[in-house]
Amino acid sequence: MKQTVQKLFGFLGRPFETGGKLEKLHPLYEAVETVFLWPDRVTAVSPQVRDQLDLKRFMSFVILALIPPAVYGIWNTGYQSRLASGLSLDTAGALWTGLLIFVPMLIVSYAAGLFWEVVFAAVRKHPVSEGFLVTGLLFPLTLPPTTPLWMVAAGISFGVVIGKEVFGGTGRNILNPALTARAFLFFAYPGQMSGDVWVRIIGEPGPAADAVTGATPLALAPTLAAGTRFEPALHEAGFSFSTLLWGGYPGSIGATSALMCLIGGIFLVLTGIANFRTIVGGIAGVLGTGYLIYFSADPSASPWYSLNPFYHLVMGGFAFGLVYMATDPVTAPGMERVRYLYGFLIGALTVLIRVYNPAFPEGVMLAILFMNIFAPLLDQLEISIRNRRRIPNV
Amino acid sequence: MISIHLKKGYDLNVAGKPSRELKHLPSPDQVALLPDKLPFVKTRLIVKTGDRVQIGSVLFEDKANPGVRFLSPGGGEVIDIRYGPRRVIEAVVIRLDSNEDHREFPAIPENRIADVPREKLLAALVDGGVWPLIRELPFRNIPRPGAEMPPAVIVSLSSKEPFQPIPNLYFRDKADLLVYGTRVLRRLAKRVIVSIADRDADLLAGKGLGEAPDCFPIRFRGHYPAGDPGVLLYRTKRTSKENRSWFIHGQDLLLLAGLLRDGVFPTERTVSVGGTASPVRGHFRTRIGAPLAHLLSGAEPNGDIRYVQGGLLSGYAASGKGHLGLYETALTLIPEGGERELFGFIRPGFHKPSYSRAFLSVFHTAPFARNCNTHGEERACINCGYCAHVCPVDILPQYTMKALRADEIEEALALGLLDCVECGLCTYVCPSKIELYQILKNAKASYYQEMNR
Repeated sequence: MKQTVQKLFGFLGRPFETGGKLEKLHPLYEAVETVFLWPDRVTAVSPQVRDQLDLKRFMSFVILALIPPAVYGIWNTGYQSRLASGLSLDTAGALWTGLLIFVPMLIVSYAAGLFWEVVFAAVRKHPVSEGFLVTGLLFPLTLPPTTPLWMVAAGISFGVVIGKEVFGGTGRNILNPALTARAFLFFAYPGQMSGDVWVRIIGEPGPAADAVTGATPLALAPTLAAGTRFEPALHEAGFSFSTLLWGGYPGSIGATSALMCLIGGIFLVLTGIANFRTIVGGIAGVLGTGYLIYFSADPSASPWYSLNPFYHLVMGGFAFGLVYMATDPVTAPGMERVRYLYGFLIGALTVLIRVYNPAFPEGVMLAILFMNIFAPLLDQLEISIRNRRRIPNV
Repeated sequence: MISIHLKKGYDLNVAGKPSRELKHLPSPDQVALLPDKLPFVKTRLIVKTGDRVQIGSVLFEDKANPGVRFLSPGGGEVIDIRYGPRRVIEAVVIRLDSNEDHREFPAIPENRIADVPREKLLAALVDGGVWPLIRELPFRNIPRPGAEMPPAVIVSLSSKEPFQPIPNLYFRDKADLLVYGTRVLRRLAKRVIVSIADRDADLLAGKGLGEAPDCFPIRFRGHYPAGDPGVLLYRTKRTSKENRSWFIHGQDLLLLAGLLRDGVFPTERTVSVGGTASPVRGHFRTRIGAPLAHLLSGAEPNGDIRYVQGGLLSGYAASGKGHLGLYETALTLIPEGGERELFGFIRPGFHKPSYSRAFLSVFHTAPFARNCNTHGEERACINCGYCAHVCPVDILPQYTMKALRADEIEEALALGLLDCVECGLCTYVCPSKIELYQILKNAKASYYQEMNR
């Protein structure tokens, strides 16, 4: 088996070698080849032995952790779509419909993103970084199912080029590329991204016509009269706590189910790929800020003021953002203690944006991007405290 | 006895442990000194090919550190002076006579150590060629013989690195030299700290080391590199004055004590040989600079094998035709591992050891076979923080590396660059396969060169 694959790649790789016709595309070939055949590089300098963990495995674990929300999201997308179209609601059919909606978006996301990755890798003569595999999957999961494919391509191009490559590629970016991509679409095409269109109708062409109105729980608040209590209104609209936790409602493809994100998050924390400090801080931030508002603000002024803060954890994309975006090691602080603070501020900002800024119904995206900017400052804070405690050695 | 527990660091759990048997090897037919493996030494050769030498004749001296000389570990004829790239001297090889001559040095009886003036003691160590066995933190260079009295000298008896000789074995029939040696060291520094692993601590029982007011035996527990003198200093120092402490390894102390007590340049070493690819695994008593093949007692390892001198993490790769370095007391043989693996990165990995928890090997407690594969390609730093987590002296290797790449030396120093004990763990755990150890070590070395220009 291994010999066969090795021979195959030996044959396929010839045009990509130095002097070959496709020499410039060597990073692309190398990226594919090393997925199948782990490199045979041996240590040239001390230490003589190395750990088995590499970036490929590191990143593929994030992809593994994305499977629960992705599979659930595919089913949910199909289910909501069939529900709105009046078709049968069996699981297999829902999954199939969901796949028909999601897979084209995923392919476009990977293809457009990989195109830019390879362009930059070829120009820089760098290998293609594995980080893109995560970005390319994360991004479509944060989109509404009604997003047209050209918009997926435009978004991921912006995310990869402006969010990452202009800074020097993976490891050097300031902002999370997938979120940058989403923020780009959010501000460039607010109609499609933050409007009320979240469900695709099957069989009808055109993006605008094939969507039905279905308010997301976050979009519900501004529609309520002052003085209404939020929770009963949510229940009335079909969003009980357990529905929000499970995620069986229209929304971004992968981000509706807090429960699935929790499963993925536990996996990431147990394997040590994601840092639990950010997640703990984020939950504390939401609950802390939520309770502060709950106990101090006059509930008759806005429906948000009377909301049990636990709802914030399960509504919208908070769980998804916290588990998969905020824990991105590149854009989060590297120091351990300020990671609590970083997470806390993400949670707090999410709640504040949701409650006090009706223009942006979803706060988590902006909260994470905002805190991404502050991550180096937080690091600097902890490092300078640490350095001061050190006995100098010069 | 003071007890210290090091919580950071990491134990490698490598298969191929040497047995606890001590075997005496017959005399090899040649020995060598390896000048380019000596820290910051600029070699000036005294002998040339064809010269006759005795045990204890001067082979070369250090241009950068006047007075420091390196003596022949064997008596016979200099048969080869091997040069490497840029004419660096790699080895001075001596073919041993069957009846070796040796130079006489003045001996100092144990009860007279306290009466000899310190300058005379220093001169005896320098003339006797054992001075290079003492080294100075943080650069691990050979101290200047005329340097001021250091705040402390740390005697490091055990190492947690796989596979270093067990103190109980290298001290066998030499235990009295330990007491003699510490008496000498107490004349050289203000304090003597004798560190030993918890598991070996019975070696110090009844030696009365702690009775002297300036001698502090310390037992330590914890992961590699808990036994390193740099780690010990970092954990115990109170002021920055202690940074320039000296240290000496247990076996080197035996040599130093042996020279002064007996008046003969000592040549004996206890070497542990291990590793999954090694045909023999055990402890061997042999000569300084013995050929590596001699340590394997003539058995030929087969396959693509790497010879590692001095430990898998902090040691270096050597040729199978090479010789034992002056400071090195361990030889580990492991396969090169230069094969490609199908879907290597996504296998469950029950047999793939990792510092992370991303492999099923977290449930595997038996020792792992190792090879020299890097298990991945070099990538940009993603700031995962594994290196900072494992660093025994709380450096942030990832930020230090970035500071150094930006030429921000001040910042790197503030982060603790000079506290680096060169354990190699940061590089070992790095998933981006960045050579953090080399970057930090090279930065330290150039800082040393800059300061001693």
